[in-house]
Amino acid sequence: MSEPLLSLQGVSKSYPRGGFLDRMLARAKPFVALDNVSLDIHRGDVVGIVGESGSGKSTLASLAVGLIAPTAGQILLDGADLTELMRDHAGPWRRRVQMAFQDSSSALNPRKTVELCLAETLALRGVARAARRAEAHGLLALVGLGVELAPRLPHELSGGQRQRVGLARALAMQPDILFADEPVSALDVSLQAQVVNLLARLTRELGLTLVFISHDLALVRTLCSRLIVMRNGAIVEQGACRDVLDNPQHAYTRLLISAVPKGLAGRKDRPSSQNSLRGDVFEPPPTAVDHGVFTVQDLVERT
Amino acid sequence: MNHWSQALRAVDWTGWLGAAFVVLMLGSAVFAPFIAPFDPIEVRLEDRLAAPDAVHWLGTDQAGRDVFSRVIYGARASLTVGIGAVVIGALIGVSAGLFAAYKGGLGDQLVMRIIDGIAAIPLLVWAIAIVGILGVGPVQIGPVALPNEAKIVLLVGVLFSPVFGRVTYAVAQRVVRADFVKARLLQGARHRDIVLGDILPNCLSPIIVQATLLVAIGIVIEASVSFVGLGVQPPSPSWGTMLSDARSAIYSGEWWLPVFPGLAISLTVVGFNLLGDAVRDLFDPRSEARTLVA
Repeated sequence: MSEPLLSLQGVSKSYPRGGFLDRMLARAKPFVALDNVSLDIHRGDVVGIVGESGSGKSTLASLAVGLIAPTAGQILLDGADLTELMRDHAGPWRRRVQMAFQDSSSALNPRKTVELCLAETLALRGVARAARRAEAHGLLALVGLGVELAPRLPHELSGGQRQRVGLARALAMQPDILFADEPVSALDVSLQAQVVNLLARLTRELGLTLVFISHDLALVRTLCSRLIVMRNGAIVEQGACRDVLDNPQHAYTRLLISAVPKGLAGRKDRPSSQNSLRGDVFEPPPTAVDHGVFTVQDLVERT
Repeated sequence: MNHWSQALRAVDWTGWLGAAFVVLMLGSAVFAPFIAPFDPIEVRLEDRLAAPDAVHWLGTDQAGRDVFSRVIYGARASLTVGIGAVVIGALIGVSAGLFAAYKGGLGDQLVMRIIDGIAAIPLLVWAIAIVGILGVGPVQIGPVALPNEAKIVLLVGVLFSPVFGRVTYAVAQRVVRADFVKARLLQGARHRDIVLGDILPNCLSPIIVQATLLVAIGIVIEASVSFVGLGVQPPSPSWGTMLSDARSAIYSGEWWLPVFPGLAISLTVVGFNLLGDAVRDLFDPRSEARTLVA
């Protein structure tokens, strides 16, 4: 097997707890958010991470994208130690790992228009000033948004539109690997389908390596090739997505699956295209990339 | 500049009233020599304590000086201290608050504890104590001799900085945790760009409101310091010294002596408060007038 794109080797992250005195007297044990986690992510993987709240999913993502440094262990990006890379805050490695955030209202600066948000991102990737506008519009088309949204401020967009802008911003850096931290949990079901379809399309068309963090086993099943189940900061089970969901080995995985309402978790068939506003999850409709240019109007007519 | 006109159309009448008061006072301060009908410090004892009439619109004081002219010239001292102190206080305080909130850790603790220390003693007590210790003469700082007014501006500015520091810190602490700041970090944006481009603009509206309130407080502090004789020195006019001189007049019936400088202070303070509300709305992206920022 080839060298993994991203590799976590015995990574732990803990936070001190209690006051100064408690720490001096070692009375308070540090809070362990992530405990000795090892995993490899290869180019082109679509990895789902599931687990209950507080299981360390988001900590894992923050560590892997270099927002925080691990307390122990090593994270390797294409073989290079991420902790070393982080010394250069604005280094070229930054653009390679990007993240889409859960809360779309917090993910975008409320005072920056969509276009400015994308343009300043492109500027940091080194795109020439003259080319930024066109490329920003191209990114909007890529995530299925019309250019008429470019001059808008985040509060003038719907949650689903904001989520897509956040995605476009992450894609503007042309990352090798994208972490999506519960990108759809704050959206209603029809918007969830849109965003998940979009992610599915992007992984196929851009060859994007995606780490999809979610509560939702049904979504993970449709989207991901590999699945990691986490609990209390540790990985309890991992493997091919279908294997894990159809034949869970760990009691906690079985518990997670049984917690999903009947008819979803064990569902072998795919969600019918009638239930999805934007066509079938497995066969997304032709897109901007296929056709060159398209507008929101095109999308509406297609459905 | 289309979005400006659009934004300004959304300002309601109280905002315009505030702006009008402020412009009136600023105009008085700047154009005092052209507006004032008399020399504000010329003593004419034969005209002393004249009630308001066609010649002396607002009457004259104990030394026969024209009250209207003195109120007009007095705007200079009040606005210099009010606005100057707020600019200095905002520069120091906002920088400190942003630094502490963004940096966190030890630097945060250090900066905020200094701010707590300064803020522990009331503004006016600080002001009077320090001016009292330094005296009313010019203060020599290295090669620069600070005249009394500049000294008061600087002093009140430093005393205002903890207020700006705390307001900025409180908002910035929330903003630095926002996901859009994380996104900028992930893009490798420079820290300076993140702080000035993403964090500061989202802290601005409470800072602006605070600034306009503090202009008003600065004016009151100038008046108070002058009232107790430590501020603007006679015979130069200032609303505070005029009020101070008018103390005895309250009992002897020359009502115009305290009323007009008092009115000038009140109108200016109210004006800055109303203006502050309007400006805050302009800077709020969710308000009708949000196009200003876009």
